[in-house]
Amino acid sequence: MKLGLGRTKWQKGHAMLELAIAAGVMLTCLAGTFQFGYTFYVYNQLVTAVGNGARYAAQRSYRTASAADIDRGNAAIRNMVVYGDAQPSNDVAPVVAGLKPEQVKIEWIGKEGRAPDAVDVSIHDYTVNAIFRAFTFDGKPFVEFPYIGRYAPAEREP
Amino acid sequence: MAMSVCMFLLLAVIGLAFDLGRVYIARNEAQVFVDAASLAAAQQLDGTASGLDRARAAVQRLPNRWNLGTEPFQGVQVEFGPDSEHLDAKPRDTAAVHFVRVTAPDNHLEILFLRAVGGPDSFTVPAQAMAATNPVRLAE
Repeated sequence: MKLGLGRTKWQKGHAMLELAIAAGVMLTCLAGTFQFGYTFYVYNQLVTAVGNGARYAAQRSYRTASAADIDRGNAAIRNMVVYGDAQPSNDVAPVVAGLKPEQVKIEWIGKEGRAPDAVDVSIHDYTVNAIFRAFTFDGKPFVEFPYIGRYAPAEREP
Repeated sequence: MAMSVCMFLLLAVIGLAFDLGRVYIARNEAQVFVDAASLAAAQQLDGTASGLDRARAAVQRLPNRWNLGTEPFQGVQVEFGPDSEHLDAKPRDTAAVHFVRVTAPDNHLEILFLRAVGGPDSFTVPAQAMAATNPVRLAE
């Protein structure tokens, strides 16, 4: 049986099958491309944020008059990672979508009672929703900076 | 014919998203590493030969990694000098050393998709940073 453009019924069926297979492959590839492309983009932003936060932590005065002062100092570093500002205003958005200060881990390396040798900053339990699949970063990105700031054991955080 | 052109373009787009994404991440990771490494090295400089050894060891000790945080940095070069212009891996006048430059040159990233459409097999992502013995404190 002949259809339009001189094609038979079987030829038209073949074209549709071809389109269905090709479209399936193409869409899968495009979805994968978006998924990895977006995840890499977010990871790159996280590396920048963690690097900036660790650099800030390494230069900041380390005030240890009380445990609360250490916590306040760590909160400022977390804010630097998440908002790009140690004391952000209430309406500021995170530099990486969905990142929260509690997902930033800070670890001071060194012996207690003296200036730290280094500071480790990393991201924990952060999930990138790339629509087709979600990726969770736990412990990555991780950055260590040597501590070059001022050790102030008797000072309080302002 | 049309299918092969489409596949070529598709691979190129995938390559741009996947491989270039990894290249940008590696470049960022390498820069953060050399920034930290140069500070770690500068901190050890005290005008003696052992200070230079400690500086080299401090760079080696840094746990920062690259390639999505999976690989350690290889072939890292540490150079010292009295100013930012004249740097040497083994300076003669150790007492005059105030500057250190760290270079991470050998970060070869394997290219997966772009090479299928004529791109390179690997891409090198070098990074370099310099620090001095008396850095200005920028943050309180």
